[in-house]
Amino acid sequence: MVTSELNLNFRTWLLDQPEGKTLLRCYQCGRCTSACPVADIEPSFNPRLFLQKILLSDELIAAEQLVWDCLTCEQCEVHCPEHVKIPHILILAKVRGLMTGNVPAAALDRARNITTIGRSLLVSPPMLKTREKMGLPDLGTPPMDMIVEMLADIGIVSRLDKVESNFGGNEDE
Amino acid sequence: MSKKHTYTYFPGCMIPYRLPHFELTMREVLKKLNVELETTPDHSCCPEPTTFTGVDFEAWVTIAARNVAVSEALGNDTVAMCSGCFHTLAVANHMVHEDTELKDRINKRLKKSGLEVTGTHTVKNLLHVLHNDIGIEAIQKQVSNPLKQLKIAPHYGCHLVRPLEATNMDHADNPQWMDEIIRATGAEVAEFEDKMACCGAPIMPGDEQTSLTITSKHLKNIKASGADAIVVVCPTCYTQMETQQGKVEALSETEFNIPVLYLGELLALSMGLTETVTENQRRYHRVKLTELLEKIGGA
Repeated sequence: MVTSELNLNFRTWLLDQPEGKTLLRCYQCGRCTSACPVADIEPSFNPRLFLQKILLSDELIAAEQLVWDCLTCEQCEVHCPEHVKIPHILILAKVRGLMTGNVPAAALDRARNITTIGRSLLVSPPMLKTREKMGLPDLGTPPMDMIVEMLADIGIVSRLDKVESNFGGNEDE
Repeated sequence: MSKKHTYTYFPGCMIPYRLPHFELTMREVLKKLNVELETTPDHSCCPEPTTFTGVDFEAWVTIAARNVAVSEALGNDTVAMCSGCFHTLAVANHMVHEDTELKDRINKRLKKSGLEVTGTHTVKNLLHVLHNDIGIEAIQKQVSNPLKQLKIAPHYGCHLVRPLEATNMDHADNPQWMDEIIRATGAEVAEFEDKMACCGAPIMPGDEQTSLTITSKHLKNIKASGADAIVVVCPTCYTQMETQQGKVEALSETEFNIPVLYLGELLALSMGLTETVTENQRRYHRVKLTELLEKIGGA
């Protein structure tokens, strides 16, 4: 395993959060990996090993495309005898890798839609017509000015302006 | 007529703007069951829990808590029909309830819009409403066309059920509520291996091959049970197992040809609302329902 320099930043940031703190309960039994449907078909996806890497302050996991192979199905957490918040820890690894571009293009598209129109997908005029034909009510549009203002201290909008995916991946169907 | 229930309906994005036949059939069925749904334009995308969380978790939980706060101000319990929306709202609500620092941080952000999240609001999914609030007996009373000829595989999916401390569902590995609703329509419940398997959809944006392999394993297990159709609650599971079924078949070199129904569609078929299903089947079902409809005498 190639480890660059020892970097405690990610580990410290993670342990500062209530869900991240659960990492310290991990004793590497591996039940997470045996319960994981992705590990079952893709052995390089190994939740136990991810936890070990973070415990040992290996920051590199945040830049690995593999973290985006987590289904967030939570089978690992259900089977963990110590209730380590494994899916949440992998989510924090993804967040940590965002600015390095380790994010699927479709995930960025959705995030940009959500922070501009308040929907994860574009709402087309023909779809609005279809709804009308079906007799379904007009649902209106979310108050985006208010939502964007609310997010100001988090800085997501400016981050989404800057980040580019070096990942590729599939378009949303 | 069963007792009247009123909810704040959280519409989300996928059901109203991608798969409106979900909303249509669900609304018609709920009308029969004396349920009223109220909506507000103040709700935004939940936001979806499979990729946005990994882009910016703090923004995810803040927008989610805002949506809960919008509901709180209206008073009635919230029902989210989409499993992703339900999961997001329920988890954020639970996190706010458990973590005072997080609650304070979010309420500071909400202050300008006059909203407040307390962590005490009740967020429900369709199964809570149908199984717990309305009840199996009241559903059975509305079944005019029992689907005795059908064997149905219940696909619960992940986000509807886990984590239990936030979802308030009955069981993480072997939930029963949808099984009971299926039996109430007169249909038989198909038993298949790995009932709580993931549909595979969440990793489509990053790894299509692995995603579809997971789907094909699940469809093989269901097909082996002899089920006539799969029933889902979640629009993302539907997209993966129905809309993408052709792709799954090509990848795994296996023909499945198994229809997928939304739970609202199954109930509509059993309650004599067949037209709400057949009117839209060509547009929203790639796997045709012809055989299934013939079996229940409604083609």
